[in-house]
Amino acid sequence: MAVIRDVIAPFELFQPASTDDAIRLLDKYGADALVLAGGLDSMDWLKDRLRRPKAVVDLGQIQELHGIKDADGGLEIGAMTPLTEVVKHAAVREKFSLLMEAAELVASPQIRNQGTLGGNVSQDTRCWYYRGGWTCYRAGGNICYADTPTAINREHAIFDADRCVAVNPSDTAPALVALDAKMVLRGPKGERIVNAEDYWIGPGIDITRMTILQPGEILRAIRIPATMAGAQFYFEKVRDRQVWDFPLVNVAAAIKTDGDKIGAARLAVNAVAATPRRLKQVETAIIGRPRNEETAKMAGDLAVQGAQTLRHNGYKVPLVRNLVRRAVRGVPSGATT
Amino acid sequence: MTNKLIGQNYTTPDLVAKVTGRAKYAEDFRVDGMLFCKLLLSPMPHARVRRIDASKALKMPGVKGILTADELPPPADVVTDLGQTIKANTRGEKALTSEPAYQGEPVLAVAAVDELTAAEAIERIEIDWEPLPFEVDPVKSLLPGGANARLEGNIWGKPKPPSPGQPVSPPAIEDLKWTDAEAAEYAQGRLPMGKTPDEWSYGNLDAGFKDAALVLDETFVTPNTSHQTLEPRTAMAYWQNGKLYMHCSTQSVVQTVGSVSRWLHLDPKDVVLISEYTGGGFGSKATGTITSVIPALLSKKLSAPVMMRIDRETEHYIGGARPAVHGRLKVGFAKDGRITALDMFVVNENGPYEPVGDTGMTGRMVSLLFQPPAMRWRGVSVLTNTPPRRAQSQPGGMQGITVMEPILAKAARKLGVDQVAIHRVNAPEGKAKFGPANARGDRAYATSAFVKEALDRGAEQFRWHERKAQGGKRQGPKVRGYGVATSAFVAGSTGYDGLFVIKPDGRMYIQSGIGNLGTESMSDCQRVAAEMIGMPWEKVELTWGHTGKNLPWSCVSGGSQTTHAHTRAAHAAATYAIGKLREIAAKAHGGKPEQYTVANERVSGPGGSLTLAQAAQKAIEYGGSFDGHELPDDINAFTKASAAALAGQGLMGVARDNYKHDGSTHSFVAGFAEVEVDVETGQYHIVDYLAVADVGTVIHPHALGGQVLGRSMLGIGHAIGQHWVYDQRYGVALARRFHHNKPPTILDAPRTMAWDALNLPDPETPVGARGIGEPPVAAGCCAVLNALADALGDDVFRRAPVMAGTLLAALDAGHPVQEPLTAHI
Amino acid sequence: MTEISPAHVSRRNFIKGVVAAGAVASSSAYLFRSTTLHGQPSAAGAVERLLTLNVNGQNRRVDVMPQDTLAWTLRYKLGLTGTKLGCDRAECGACTVLIDDVPHYSCSVLAHRTRGKKITTIEGLADPATGKLSAVQQGVVDEQGFQCAFCMPGFVMAATGYLKTNPNPTRQELAHGVSGNLCRCQDYDKILTALMRGAELMRG
Repeated sequence: MAVIRDVIAPFELFQPASTDDAIRLLDKYGADALVLAGGLDSMDWLKDRLRRPKAVVDLGQIQELHGIKDADGGLEIGAMTPLTEVVKHAAVREKFSLLMEAAELVASPQIRNQGTLGGNVSQDTRCWYYRGGWTCYRAGGNICYADTPTAINREHAIFDADRCVAVNPSDTAPALVALDAKMVLRGPKGERIVNAEDYWIGPGIDITRMTILQPGEILRAIRIPATMAGAQFYFEKVRDRQVWDFPLVNVAAAIKTDGDKIGAARLAVNAVAATPRRLKQVETAIIGRPRNEETAKMAGDLAVQGAQTLRHNGYKVPLVRNLVRRAVRGVPSGATT
Repeated sequence: MTNKLIGQNYTTPDLVAKVTGRAKYAEDFRVDGMLFCKLLLSPMPHARVRRIDASKALKMPGVKGILTADELPPPADVVTDLGQTIKANTRGEKALTSEPAYQGEPVLAVAAVDELTAAEAIERIEIDWEPLPFEVDPVKSLLPGGANARLEGNIWGKPKPPSPGQPVSPPAIEDLKWTDAEAAEYAQGRLPMGKTPDEWSYGNLDAGFKDAALVLDETFVTPNTSHQTLEPRTAMAYWQNGKLYMHCSTQSVVQTVGSVSRWLHLDPKDVVLISEYTGGGFGSKATGTITSVIPALLSKKLSAPVMMRIDRETEHYIGGARPAVHGRLKVGFAKDGRITALDMFVVNENGPYEPVGDTGMTGRMVSLLFQPPAMRWRGVSVLTNTPPRRAQSQPGGMQGITVMEPILAKAARKLGVDQVAIHRVNAPEGKAKFGPANARGDRAYATSAFVKEALDRGAEQFRWHERKAQGGKRQGPKVRGYGVATSAFVAGSTGYDGLFVIKPDGRMYIQSGIGNLGTESMSDCQRVAAEMIGMPWEKVELTWGHTGKNLPWSCVSGGSQTTHAHTRAAHAAATYAIGKLREIAAKAHGGKPEQYTVANERVSGPGGSLTLAQAAQKAIEYGGSFDGHELPDDINAFTKASAAALAGQGLMGVARDNYKHDGSTHSFVAGFAEVEVDVETGQYHIVDYLAVADVGTVIHPHALGGQVLGRSMLGIGHAIGQHWVYDQRYGVALARRFHHNKPPTILDAPRTMAWDALNLPDPETPVGARGIGEPPVAAGCCAVLNALADALGDDVFRRAPVMAGTLLAALDAGHPVQEPLTAHI
Repeated sequence: MTEISPAHVSRRNFIKGVVAAGAVASSSAYLFRSTTLHGQPSAAGAVERLLTLNVNGQNRRVDVMPQDTLAWTLRYKLGLTGTKLGCDRAECGACTVLIDDVPHYSCSVLAHRTRGKKITTIEGLADPATGKLSAVQQGVVDEQGFQCAFCMPGFVMAATGYLKTNPNPTRQELAHGVSGNLCRCQDYDKILTALMRGAELMRG
């Protein structure tokens, strides 16, 4: 069969009005269904004709998936809330500005107007072999094209390679990990809640999926507890162009100080592994220390231990080291513009 | 001449149509019964089609037909105006092929009632491929054991010089391999310098190096960058009463008729080309694109209009790209930075088809811009199984200057000479010579050059001497750097025609055959004619973009030639018309024509005066050479036909540019940049950029500024991120999307940008105006590269683009880490 | 040549447009496939093909397949070719339109998701009765903004939408506002000047 990468294949479009209707449809169509959130990730697959669902289930009409509300001093953000809304929301800006900083660096204004927080955290990897339709492990084959001596793997993983070296490209994901967010999932069997960092799964668990969502399940909402509200935040995204481009590496940190010592810390980096990487060792190591250059340097060095580079991504080691150092040092949030 | 129009800003006649969305580009046209065609692209870098079975596709309801490579007319011989036959190159690029030579090459086309059906039909086509050897790395192809991109070899040989009366044969493909000894350099990260088919030199190189206070030997690599015009080269075609109507996207309406006729073996009179708006060209749509024959042939075959919408991915493959150049230069400098000798060696990556002109231009522009007293240039253009290269804004010039500029900046640092000073001491001036001597012993020379003035003006406006003191000083993680660069390119052709009619309504109807791709020269140049006639611009009606509307023979909007060529042509046509107006006045009122002047919409003299409207009426009465019934002998046949069709409507201004022209017209730009690097992340941004243009008389300031800064930005893109990426094992493009190959966004542009023009007229052209489109490119690219080196020191990067990963790895390791010579990384 | 003109384009401009196009004038749209490939009826609960879209203040009825994007629908079913396809992949902004006054990439919005929303395209900015250009459009004319102008409709729509949220931006803020639009002529500096002028005119 000859290949053409243009023109979406026909599908039936469903626009259910409730979450339960959506789940019923997903359950009914199973592997023949595609969930449509903002659509920016899905559209690429559809237009490349690499995905040909029989049924597309558009979540856009479901009111309860949309909007931001207070929840016990924290927030509950509907998964279908557009990123622009997240960025503009007063409570996000006042208490959880880390998420605002991350969200406003995603892609471009038009994409933020349409793309959703739920979609951004659930998005598929952007490895150009996988996205180009090469039949690798992640696509159900039994080879990785990116982890070879001749491959171009500049944007690929330096941690936790397990046959697949693709990375998670989300900007909001590490921020949510740093904010100790919880993901509210809803499926045919009801709701369950997982910690943000457990939402993403690595190739060791299932090499074909990025998240823990089971067939028929959707991400309903993201809950941010009050724990890290008003903490000292740091977010930085390093990328080639200053708009559209996915991160080469990003870092998100939420730190609380007790006097001049670090009292609590949550740090995560992304685009270095198939899942956002929470830096638990670093968090433990810096607690009780002052927020100074010495602590920062130690944190940076610790963060890159165990890194395994590929032919073209060696720069990610100094980049992670320096970003973590900056996050701990507390350089004024220079989310690059 | 007090200028009411020339040098003034105005609203071009196309602007309101554009801003309201009414301007129609190729894909915006609709015709009753229009079919859509989609292309089947080769998945392999080099292959032969063994078998095509389209039966399932053709059975689908809504599928109307397919077009395969064997249905294309064979490449046609060309006969020049001097009667010399140039035989067709059968090994050159075709619209469809059964031996694809790059992944993504179109193999066949399917036409259907809608795109969805066409796409589904493509998937039902069974094709058997025979894989053939391939190579995507030009240097590797030259090394012992390297693969060749074509079955016949990896370079174009030199065409045999024709015997008198015999046709010129096309060049043949040959195999060039270097020796093991030469290849040893590659392992050291230096460009090997083996045998090349082309070489020239002048001056005494050995003496020059012996006299040098400093000799540098450096290798630098520039990227392949796609033109990525925002409008892909969609074409829509239909036939009516034996004529082909082609809507396409081109940089030259008039000259695309020639291409299309040649490709389709048609009489040019049977081709009507419509392209009133072209969404960018940058050299890739100079005289159309050969792929446009596909809808024409399908339309003929299926008796229906056919729209071939080119999607962005296909555009990546067929849209063209600037070739990468691997350059190695050995340069000797005197203490004050003056070059004493320059030995230049380039490997140009050609793609699989016609040899590009970039290779030769690398040496010529370096020779012109830096005036080495002794120079040798050697070059080879190597075939690779990657998309065809097409001239892109400053083709070859940009690459040549870019492999040289870092050396100049490095020499400045090592010698303790200021960057502006080192550019100044080597700058061309006046009728500066360049390139090798020809058979008669003569070297080419520029018509004029005011590079020193551009550097001085720029240094002052940029406050260079004050600011550069901050270069290299760390402030926290940030460090600033300052760079200056100069650039040059050809900027003017001659010999084209102007055409207009002043009608009895008192208005001036100007015919413009220039392409409308955003340069506005299709309108700007014609202002010269209106200025000379004294016609207020509100009374000018401009026709462009449709060859059915009687356009004159015009140059291609490429090679920065248009402003020069067509201010001359407009000047010539206006001069002719003024002569005729004076004759009419003398005829009507007595006396001699010389006694009459054209001004204030009248032609007046001792005997009396006529309004231009009245003169136009008289022109029709008198006929002959007044109203286009008799035409000058030397205008182009194309113009003759157009003028003849307009005869009898008023006072015709029609003439060929025969003005003298001593030298080769070039324009120059000096670029200044300030960058700020974050050494912890490798990211940098351009704080400030200034370009000073030496382009002769300024015709339209807004448009000029747009070109100077827009093309500077195009060059900057090469420095900051644009490039191709290929998987070398499979020969397949990995960077196919914008977010992979990184055209600069508005947030990547310098925070502040400014431009200025010297406005010193070129002496070899009546209006004094030279072209501008291309000279800014290398200035933008190299000012940024030099600023980065100023911030970070030498030996941080050895190729462009310079990206965060490159910088970070080098700063971390203390030396460049990025592979120096591997192609497409 | 078909120019399926929205009602607010004056007859004079319509004729000018047809004549300027210089080809055969025809009043009928061309054919689209009217059934699914295999002629099957839609699944129960799936959206119907016929859709009413509110475009530039008018209700337009169109027959749209579920997978058709808004950009495609505007360009091929509603005769509104001012919205361009530069990449069809949300990476260039040439297709930008306003949906409820918010800029979106119409190439990445399914037409069926715009039911009940207000869609504005470049053709909808000028005053329908007088033809007077909008402030942003006039700013472009005043400053001779853009070159080949293929990106122009997208930029103008993005700026128009952005200025509704921030009518008095700094140059850098406006650059961010239109950062989702690519210009390959790289006319960014002059574009920003033109859009800033448009903002100034808008503020009166």
